[in-house]
Amino acid sequence: MRMILAVMYREYLIRTTTLTWAFYDLFIPVTYLLLFGLGLDRAVGSGLSIAGKQVGYNAFFLPGVLAMASFGIAINTSYGFFVDRDNGIFYEFLTYPMTRGEFLIGKILFNCLLSVVQAMITVTLAALFLQIPIQWAFTSLLLAGVVIGTSGWFFCLTTFALRIRRNDMFNTFLNVAYFVLMFASSMFYPLQGLPPWLQVVAWANPLTWHCDVLRFITIGVGSMGTVIVEALAFNLFLIVSFAGAVHTLRRGVLG
Amino acid sequence: MSSSVPAIEAEALVKIYHENSAHPVRALDELSLQVRQGEIFGLLGQNGAGKTTFLRVLTTLTRATAGHARLLGLDVARKGLEVRQRICAVLQENAVELFLSVEDNLQTYGRFHSLRRGEISRRSDQVIEQFGLGSNRKQKVIDLSGGLKRRLQVAKVLMVDKPVVFLDEATTGMDPISKRATLDTLREQARQGRTILLTTHILEEAEELCDRIAIIDRGRLVAVGDPNSIKSYGSAAVDIRVTYGALPQEAIARLSRFPHTRLEQRHTTLEICIDANRVSPFDVLAEIAKIGSVVSFEVSSGTLEDAFVELLGKGRRERSGDQ
Repeated sequence: MRMILAVMYREYLIRTTTLTWAFYDLFIPVTYLLLFGLGLDRAVGSGLSIAGKQVGYNAFFLPGVLAMASFGIAINTSYGFFVDRDNGIFYEFLTYPMTRGEFLIGKILFNCLLSVVQAMITVTLAALFLQIPIQWAFTSLLLAGVVIGTSGWFFCLTTFALRIRRNDMFNTFLNVAYFVLMFASSMFYPLQGLPPWLQVVAWANPLTWHCDVLRFITIGVGSMGTVIVEALAFNLFLIVSFAGAVHTLRRGVLG
Repeated sequence: MSSSVPAIEAEALVKIYHENSAHPVRALDELSLQVRQGEIFGLLGQNGAGKTTFLRVLTTLTRATAGHARLLGLDVARKGLEVRQRICAVLQENAVELFLSVEDNLQTYGRFHSLRRGEISRRSDQVIEQFGLGSNRKQKVIDLSGGLKRRLQVAKVLMVDKPVVFLDEATTGMDPISKRATLDTLREQARQGRTILLTTHILEEAEELCDRIAIIDRGRLVAVGDPNSIKSYGSAAVDIRVTYGALPQEAIARLSRFPHTRLEQRHTTLEICIDANRVSPFDVLAEIAKIGSVVSFEVSSGTLEDAFVELLGKGRRERSGDQ
């Protein structure tokens, strides 16, 4: 436990000593919602009809922003492996008296904590300033969804970060992945209006599963049956990603 | 831990990178050696000789393809965590937290090695003073010079009392005064019973600091022993340095007739390194006296560098002969 706390403390120090990171981590999602979301909300006007329910664009977009935030934190954290590797500190870490699992868990626990704080700020400000009708009774479920989302993406991206050894290649991979995953998902728009081929891609995208689950929990939109299947699928994605990350850290990096 | 147990023990260690590729790299080739507890042991070799790979195996960063490595009797492949609880390592890169201050770097290092809060503060104060980092205490490491970063990296080792310390080219980039202070500190640490395994390209440093030295080449052990015995392994090298009032034109031609491994001219000074088994130093000195008016001369036994060059050349000749 002491080692996990040490890893968390180190993550905390790094985030707090650089204010731009702290701003990015905590306020970018809400800024996104207030600027992009508000603009599109006005453009869409009467809102969207989903599963027979009329929803304002801001309300529809809020869970997408939460999913985007989880994804963003996972990107920053996995990118941290490159920063650590370039500094040389990554290999020194692996000579410290802790297990590889403690190292990964310490990293993700801090970042889950961060995503929980971020989600609470975003949801609270969305309710206050955009009058989005949040289902406050399901707050604990929402936070669990955020934690599972951040962890799933972190372990998935960590596997790639550890396997792709070049910073520029990982950057390119991230840019392409981010672009495709975000736009081939239910983050910005309902899937029903998309061309059939894009719908197939979007349904296979874990970001869609995450967005749909968060949407159901936050504003009560979506079909419960579909959401349960998506939640199970995302948990499976989390388990496979964790196994992949630990395997890569043990074998791929250490030779 | 009984002091009769070697601090480090390697038996026929083999490490092959890209084993399944068309071009596998044999970084360690049946390397066997022992390092005793409390000694400063130097690992010398050219770039790509396998020094860093050897350190990576011992610090649990990579697994050997074959053979065994033990640290204080613990198998490094099977008891990784227990091994890591007994070591600290300064690796080749500037392994420091760039976005943290000097003080935070030391304190997080202390935390990772399970020091108590009071102990962390006390030690970081002590280490900051010892390494002359007082004026940089609150400065972010990203703003420090390369030499200061390296100093901080070595300073971290003194935050904890681990019995075995690995230093991979620890003094690279340091100014002479910092380097001197670091070497003195390492000597003091060894006197207190810590085992230090270091790699370096600076042979004078290894000669001055190390109790024993191993020379490795292409992953194989070429020679091991104390610096004086290593010097004698290579050949009976003798360095002669002579300064003439005015350097006669034929001087180099006349001296080059003697078998030598090095002959250099600097202004009116000539330096020749000969193998005393093949030519008598007195014959060379007699020739030097005949060439012209000598202002000064100096005769010394060969340096570690001479032995290093000789041993590597000899090892490669033998290996190509085997093939």
